[in-house]
Amino acid sequence: MITLYAITDHPTPPVPALGDMRVVASGDLAAVCGPVLKGEVTAEALWQHERLVEALMDDRDVLPVRYGTCLPDDAAAARTLQDNHAEFAASLETVRGAVELAVRVFAAGNATAAAQPPSEPTTGTAYLRARARVAADESGAGAIVHEPLARTARAATIARVNRPGELMRAAYLVDRDATGAFSERVREIQEQNPQLRITCTGPWPPYSFAAR
Amino acid sequence: MTTIAEQDVALIDLLDRLLGGGVVIAGDITLAAADVDLVYVGLRALIASVATAKEKGVLPEMGSAL
Repeated sequence: MITLYAITDHPTPPVPALGDMRVVASGDLAAVCGPVLKGEVTAEALWQHERLVEALMDDRDVLPVRYGTCLPDDAAAARTLQDNHAEFAASLETVRGAVELAVRVFAAGNATAAAQPPSEPTTGTAYLRARARVAADESGAGAIVHEPLARTARAATIARVNRPGELMRAAYLVDRDATGAFSERVREIQEQNPQLRITCTGPWPPYSFAAR
Repeated sequence: MTTIAEQDVALIDLLDRLLGGGVVIAGDITLAAADVDLVYVGLRALIASVATAKEKGVLPEMGSAL
């Protein structure tokens, strides 16, 4: 069994001497593969995987492959490239020259508690009011944070929020040379909106834009 | 209620990307959906090293002054 790290163009620059990566090519596409790493899925294992993909991203465009993707052998990897050629080639064009930045918005300080529906609402009305407040906060965060950032990005996706106090969770596909301008925009929005707490991480390989 | 710690943000963003994003090649994911949930549950409590979080952060101090 082999594991897949990323799909990229072929020919591709030599893979970095990190881990144990090698290239399986098929036509104008290549899969960067390695041995399957055994053991528990720990934070360190995930960061190690991420470091390898980021090292690849340093000097080429990549479609990161979902963690844990395994194939029987190199021939299967080549076949996967052939079978999905149109999709992979189009996705590579989408992300060419760009990286992903992750943005989350939380309600700051006391507003966080206020934004949460009570865990055991005393009445149905109280519950509905609390839900309505959360919905208003979410759409407000979208208008305040997402719209200006989306204008700075090549593409954007908004994911369903999934943590307490979280108002927005989004990913932006940003030109490599525009990440500074993007983070400056985040900083401005944060300064103008102390009621929100905005986090921005990256640059990441374009995980949220790799699949069509 | 606790809010998400700065150093957790990078780890959670990492989990969302590696386990929920990327190219999906049908039928060949070794982590089943149930396993992915377990990884989330297991790692959510884990604090990523501050060094790693800072390294990932485009805006490393963002939010900490609020």
